[in-house]
Amino acid sequence: MWHKRFQEMCFDVIEPIIQKTGVNWDEDNGIRNIVTCSDDIFDARTISDNAVTDAVGAHYRGEEKMAQDGINGIGYALSCILSGHDDVVLLVGHCKESQSESRNMITNLAFDPFFCRPIGLDYENTAALQARAYAAKAGITEEQLAKVVVNARKNASKNPYALAQELVTAEQVMNSPMLCDPIRELHSYPVSDGAVAFLLASEDRCLEYTDKPVWITGFGNNIDSYFLGDKVLTSNFAMKRAAARAYKMAAIKDPSKSLNVVEITDRYAYQLPLWAEGLGLCDENAGGRWIDEGGLEKMNVNLSGGMLAGNPLMIGGMSRAAEAVLQLRGEAEGRQVADAKRALAHGTTGPVGQHQAVLILEI
Amino acid sequence: MATYFGIAVDDIFNTMQARFRPEGAAGMDAVLAYDITGDGGGCWKITVKDNTVKIENTDDLAGFSVKTTVDAETFVGISIGKVDGMSAFSSGKMKVEGDMSLLAASPRLFNRFTPPKKGVTVHDIFATLVERFRPENATDLDMTIGYNIGGDDGGQWTAVIKDGKCVLETGLRADATITQIVTAKDFVDLVLGKLDPMVAIGAGRLRIAGDMKAAGIVPKLFAKFTPADAGEEQELIVLKRNISVNMKYSTGRHLGMFLDALKEKKIIANICPKCGRYQLPPREVCAECRCRVEDFKEVGPGGVITLIEDVYYASPDPLTGETRETPYGTVHVLLDGCTPDCTFWHFLKNEDLGNTKEGDRVQPVWAEKRDGGVHDILYFEKENG
Amino acid sequence: MGHKNRHVGIIGIGQTTYSSHREDVNQPEMIQEAVALALKDSGLKIDDIECVVHGNMELFEMIHQPDIWHVLGDGGYGKDAYRITTGGTTGITLVAAADNLVASGMYDIVMAIGFEKLQEGHTTGGITNMADPLWGRSLQTGALTGATAKDMINEFGEDRARRAAMRHRITLDKHAKLNPNSHRSFGLEYDQVEDLMDNSPKLVGELRLIHMCSQSDGACAMIFASEKKAKELSKHPVWIRDHITVHREETFNLFGHDVPELTHHYAARKLFERNGIKVPREYFDVFEMYDPSSWWGLDWLREFLLLEGDEHLRMIENDDISINGSFPLNPSGGVISANPIGATAMVRVAEAAMQIRGDAGGHQIPREVKHALASGFGGTMWTVLFMLEKELGWEEID
Repeated sequence: MWHKRFQEMCFDVIEPIIQKTGVNWDEDNGIRNIVTCSDDIFDARTISDNAVTDAVGAHYRGEEKMAQDGINGIGYALSCILSGHDDVVLLVGHCKESQSESRNMITNLAFDPFFCRPIGLDYENTAALQARAYAAKAGITEEQLAKVVVNARKNASKNPYALAQELVTAEQVMNSPMLCDPIRELHSYPVSDGAVAFLLASEDRCLEYTDKPVWITGFGNNIDSYFLGDKVLTSNFAMKRAAARAYKMAAIKDPSKSLNVVEITDRYAYQLPLWAEGLGLCDENAGGRWIDEGGLEKMNVNLSGGMLAGNPLMIGGMSRAAEAVLQLRGEAEGRQVADAKRALAHGTTGPVGQHQAVLILEI
Repeated sequence: MATYFGIAVDDIFNTMQARFRPEGAAGMDAVLAYDITGDGGGCWKITVKDNTVKIENTDDLAGFSVKTTVDAETFVGISIGKVDGMSAFSSGKMKVEGDMSLLAASPRLFNRFTPPKKGVTVHDIFATLVERFRPENATDLDMTIGYNIGGDDGGQWTAVIKDGKCVLETGLRADATITQIVTAKDFVDLVLGKLDPMVAIGAGRLRIAGDMKAAGIVPKLFAKFTPADAGEEQELIVLKRNISVNMKYSTGRHLGMFLDALKEKKIIANICPKCGRYQLPPREVCAECRCRVEDFKEVGPGGVITLIEDVYYASPDPLTGETRETPYGTVHVLLDGCTPDCTFWHFLKNEDLGNTKEGDRVQPVWAEKRDGGVHDILYFEKENG
Repeated sequence: MGHKNRHVGIIGIGQTTYSSHREDVNQPEMIQEAVALALKDSGLKIDDIECVVHGNMELFEMIHQPDIWHVLGDGGYGKDAYRITTGGTTGITLVAAADNLVASGMYDIVMAIGFEKLQEGHTTGGITNMADPLWGRSLQTGALTGATAKDMINEFGEDRARRAAMRHRITLDKHAKLNPNSHRSFGLEYDQVEDLMDNSPKLVGELRLIHMCSQSDGACAMIFASEKKAKELSKHPVWIRDHITVHREETFNLFGHDVPELTHHYAARKLFERNGIKVPREYFDVFEMYDPSSWWGLDWLREFLLLEGDEHLRMIENDDISINGSFPLNPSGGVISANPIGATAMVRVAEAAMQIRGDAGGHQIPREVKHALASGFGGTMWTVLFMLEKELGWEEID
């Protein structure tokens, strides 16, 4: 989508909301507050939300920018409404990885300037370290990783929003060139651009806009330590805590049995089983086995194709949430889960899952 | 000679030649004049040309490119980093005439002045000996320690330890419990921890005469000597990096049409279908109505000035790194056809700055070569007649 | 709409000293200083904090996703963590975010941290990067404009307007002198008005160097708690009554025409209307205003307090705005005296809260402060406005 300005991309996803819900920006009854999601460095704009103020309708209205994966914006917008401050909140996130010459150059800038940055760490090579550690600990195999990718493409081919829709075989995945050992090209999400928007409303007002509100019943996020050596890359430290908070709020005792739809942000193939373990969808070290035993199909995991199908950083988790909403409303044409009642959407910010967020939605 | 922070104004100027950085003077041809007022001040003229510098202490400051007038104390303070130059300038303590952009040049021209380091002397150490005495380690102790320190800055002292007290005498006692024989330089290095005592003894640079067993207790009798300016010695390492990530910006359809039209010497705005306001440059959405805007129309090219800004301070152009010559003017122009809130912001012709006012009509002057960017219009100039 | 689920109290405040020379610390270390001070002030331990909200303007220091590295200093390890940024208003938006998070019932104790280390970047270049790269960036010079000065000179006359702006500047400099945290105070005196008015170097039009805010390094941390916890944990929680955020489109034509209503006025009007405040000038005991320059600080006094005519100039001329005056403005010295951008707007709330608590020290207003107003500014004329109260029990208007 390199030819579009991100301003237009934002309005492209807001317009359908206006059309479907009839929402407006009336000073007293309409949208008074907007939560955006973007990053200054990806956009190369100081105050990146300043560039889209008009497109998101924030002129003479409130706007607050979530500067992490947009799924956290859902959690934050939730607090804006539960606090009583707002009744109706518009949430819009965007990112264009194609604008910069290399997203790895940008993620390298997430590291401290004194040591980690100069040795060249970025989200991709740190993921490779984590992938290697995970393989060593849990014995995840190339075949299992290939299954993740084959599955992702198969699902993506049915999702009109997905970018990487070309079907691939396990052989193709296992022979695809090494990107950053042990991560191969086909294990990695493509350079992507995108925008996602949500309209959130309080309980007593949501029926003004839709007859199928999707309820947020749980949200939690958490952050791990910074230096790679200070943490156990395979421990899912942040994930477990984020999930625990979300599950508690949603009164979920056993996630492996309570969810109809699961959307996990997998920037790289190994992350799908790793995060699944952290979410409690399968036992520790059993991610590979879970895949082999059809876990992805049984739990309706990443029917959107996941992040592997193409979402940019900053909105990977947000896109997972969007898919979950569509599934719960019965609008996931071509890939619809029958009778979907409860979904989990997951998002991650930073390298190697340092920050994780878990969202539970129900209809 | 008046000094400030232990430094004279002359010290700073007299060391400039040695501190000069030719690489910082590349392409510079300028005269920096200084009128330092107050006690210890004077007039100085620094001529930079052909990557060399000439420093003169002269009252004749004519022909300067920039002249700085400041009191001596502030000048010294700024030179050694104890006074913030920006604050001095902002508060009026330091006055500058002429080309202000040269103010930023000075730090590049010269390495920072560092006051000569005052080394620790033997006398410094003995001046604090008694106060560093630790009586808690001298219970029931009765001994004398002789110091026979040779060389320049040396001397002879005896520390008398008795009844939990320490008294320092000059001179040596023949019957001292122990006597240390060492040169002044080595003594200072031993005290500062730069020279290891065992190494010094092994090399014969430190000799101890007398009761060797008693000698063992001496290190415990006195607290460590710390030089007065120890805290300022910390070296701060600075990492300088230019971070550059190339970007490919999309104009999007709307801004794209606008930039394309500039190539044809046309200025186009777009009009909101709901409120009718003009947007210049055109944008995808009307911020007030929250609807798409697709109706494009040519406006101007001439119009009326609604605001002139006289700009005296320029920041470097982010793309070229160059700084505009000041003063220059920017204008907000209500181009013919636009709604009142849709003013167009651009530069004013330099020659017109000063004889143009709000309400005057102006027209754009186009660049000969246009490639669809803000500089396709060089500036706006007053319309004739 | 607009009434809170539960009350939120400020129970801890920590500020680093603001300066342009913090080479002695790296970014997480500087943040940790403010966090440690806030914890000390509140009597809490880091384990008591459930959630951390972090913010700054990332493009200034060129760190992508800074909360990743800064977790070393903000104590967020193992906690819920959000990051919210909105340019110059970031600091006060962080307060709004913390207020929302606690009032929502999702968390009981939240810490917000705003900071900036401007010396590690290029500030004016960073601000210029706000403009669209394909158009405005070549035209914009940081945040400088002489338009407001021009308008005020046209309305009140050159001499009167310039004097008032300079008096405003000097008064705030005097306040800064009393605030040990402030970055700079020049020791200005009122008899310097003419000299500075005429001789301080011009930047754009009548906007002179002396009028402009500083560029500072520093961090501010604040701890917020639900009503129940706040009452348990603090002897003097400061209550957040309400807040409003009003943005304006990125415009290429911010000046040069009459804007029907500035966001400051709109924000004040809406906020006061829904809280039943009829005469803000009488209701509030102190106002910590985000004043990027003396001209704006002066002009916006009229906007925020919904004044008419030359009331605001008379407030300056009569010394009403000094700490001992009838309407103290920026007893901390304001943004002109310290501006660590990501923290600056939060510092306004922190300083206002300290005035209510009565422990601001040297720059404490000598009367009881029960109602405080704090504002944030950023972006293209964005405004955030906060109301703080000493005691609960204000009337609620639904």
